[in-house]
Amino acid sequence: MRMAFRTVWYGLLVACLACAWSAPSAAAHVAHADSLDGGAQEAEGAEAQGVSASSEEVLDGAGSEAEGGETPSTGWFDTEHTPTAVATLLFGAILLFFIRSARSGKPLFIRRIAGLEAVDEAVGRATEMGRPILYSPGLDPMEEVATVASINILGQVARKAGEYETRLIMPNRDPIVMTVAQEVVREALTQVGRPDLYNADDIYYTTQSQFGYAAAVCGTMMRERPATNFFIGHFYAESLILAETGNATGAIQIAGTDSDSQLPFFICACDYTLIGEELYAGSVYLSREPLLLGALKGQDVAKAVLLVVLIAGAILAFFGIDIGPYLG
Amino acid sequence: MWEQAGIVVGALVTLAIFSLLYKDNPLYRFAESLLVGVSAGYYLVQYCFSAIYRKFYIPVIGEGDLWLLPGGILGLLILLRLSRRVQWMSRYAIAFYVAAWSGYLIPSVLQERILIQIRSTFPPSLAEASIWAVLGSLFLLVGVVSILVYFFFSAEHRGALGRISQVGITFLMVGFGASFGYTVMGRVSLLIGRFQYLFQDLPQALSF
Amino acid sequence: MKRTGPVVFGFLIGMLMLIQYFTQVPWIDDRYNNVLDWKQVVFGITLILGVVSLFLHHWKKIERKTGGWGYSVVTIAGLLFMIAAALIFGREEGPYPWMFDHVQAPMQSTMFALLAFYVASASYRAFRVRSFHAALLLTAGVIVMLGRVPLGEMMGFHIGEHYFSLGTISTLILDYPNLAAKRGVMIGVGLGMTATAIKIILGIERTYLGKGA
Repeated sequence: MRMAFRTVWYGLLVACLACAWSAPSAAAHVAHADSLDGGAQEAEGAEAQGVSASSEEVLDGAGSEAEGGETPSTGWFDTEHTPTAVATLLFGAILLFFIRSARSGKPLFIRRIAGLEAVDEAVGRATEMGRPILYSPGLDPMEEVATVASINILGQVARKAGEYETRLIMPNRDPIVMTVAQEVVREALTQVGRPDLYNADDIYYTTQSQFGYAAAVCGTMMRERPATNFFIGHFYAESLILAETGNATGAIQIAGTDSDSQLPFFICACDYTLIGEELYAGSVYLSREPLLLGALKGQDVAKAVLLVVLIAGAILAFFGIDIGPYLG
Repeated sequence: MWEQAGIVVGALVTLAIFSLLYKDNPLYRFAESLLVGVSAGYYLVQYCFSAIYRKFYIPVIGEGDLWLLPGGILGLLILLRLSRRVQWMSRYAIAFYVAAWSGYLIPSVLQERILIQIRSTFPPSLAEASIWAVLGSLFLLVGVVSILVYFFFSAEHRGALGRISQVGITFLMVGFGASFGYTVMGRVSLLIGRFQYLFQDLPQALSF
Repeated sequence: MKRTGPVVFGFLIGMLMLIQYFTQVPWIDDRYNNVLDWKQVVFGITLILGVVSLFLHHWKKIERKTGGWGYSVVTIAGLLFMIAAALIFGREEGPYPWMFDHVQAPMQSTMFALLAFYVASASYRAFRVRSFHAALLLTAGVIVMLGRVPLGEMMGFHIGEHYFSLGTISTLILDYPNLAAKRGVMIGVGLGMTATAIKIILGIERTYLGKGA
């Protein structure tokens, strides 16, 4: 395993150097189109269409590229993507290096994240009040990494719920998320020695409809009166409906999303909010698993590299040297 | 006739959902249950047709395209979750489902969410842009840098790092406030749309 | 086979999807499109599992006559009606599209419209300023809100000869701190997403696979 790890890592470094070598020539092909997250703010209202939407987006994207007519290159390596290839390899190498370092058992520090510190208190409160906990994993399908991050946090919340003997309710919009969540919760409860607390009926599917799901979760909050609500995952316009209804029922609420357009609403209506990347750090924070801590450290190092690129690029840009085309 | 009846039904269910603003009540509960049932049925039919029928049945059974057969096999594997003994086989389907998209995400996210955003944050040249444009882009740069510093997890936010991350959180809060204010008008216009349905479309349907 | 098999399978599929991004080899493009189709089929079949779960969830309530079981009858009736309507009359005409247009769509739109009220109540909550950061959020929110209506253009102040309306200030806030916040969050999230995706492909992140994986 260690040998394989080392091979992959060295392979990535070599490939990285090879790609970097070809980057300047490839960069010349790249159009300097300025882009941003345009439309995200308005698009959030649209129904999140789950798997088919994401797949179709990809197909549409591929289609439009094909329709574009002029293709910069063909063959095994599309040089138009050289900067992305370099970034992918570099990021992968940094991540693998720190995961490998974490194997040595060196303790790694992670700063306090208020929303996650409150998980114990929130679960404890539900136990004291004799009320359940509600967990919503957001609207995105299982394939989206925000949902994977949410499921990881769910595992930790379920463990605590098991330790405190508190019921956990989880309405789902996606059937695959439901099946995975059932498995994760059952495993968490087994690990804390309380498999008897597992009830598959409490982790159920509602509907694919965005607002149908919102209606069902609101109904559950008003009838079951959970003492604690977790909204962790990717949310769309329904975020405020859920958070405000939860607020009206007097629940303590912990939210976490990577959707920048929904963060303001969660911040206003919830007690604690995991902002953007904190969602991805959440499961590492709760589990303290060395390998994942190593990956988080690698993520921070990659961030530091980006900051250096950003500041150096800005200084050069002030003096008329544009390194933008080298970034894709 | 059916169209007019539909508008009346639509108005009734609209009012039933609005009744939630008062409190949870039997009318809302009825509407909620109906919405869940009807929409679950609607999407089941849509996906059965667009996914199972069009992406599996027609190409594989009808046209003999075996490249699409694995989709059906993976789909059946996931159903094995229902059996305790062979439940582990469904992991293949879930691993496929999650890993396939992850593979796609890595380069596309790196390009669109990171590289392009970094590039767009570079300021204009001092020689070409106005002083206001330069100051504005410098302000933007300070915001992005400080926010990224706020997202450092493996170091305590003390000293210089703590002060920079405080600047970051200040930018975040102003930005979130602006997003909040920006959205309000859009939400009000949605409400106006529902009122138009109740006070324009419904009377027209009833006058028939 | 039970533990490593799915991880290796995920690695291979993930790498295929990763590599296709950088290549223009027709065979790889075709397999990539196949994978997208397989995903849709898997999802479609899993949806059946989900709907069965929904049915059983409500059926048990009806069987046990738990409180509010009558509403479970409504859910099951709605579900079965839509399936039957599509099977008997088709998806294009008859009760299936009628139910969508006149029952489902108005209810969904109304749930969406409820946001106007919830935005108001959330704003009220934000008004009860609890900290410096909450005050910042509130101030920026109010300026942008007012700046986007005609009244905002009439409200403002002079600095020398220059008139700064709320509309102008609102635009400045949207163009700079708001853009910085969006970009900062976007880059951070991008790193988190990429790191998670790499961990998934390499099998380091496997909670989602469940027990013993």
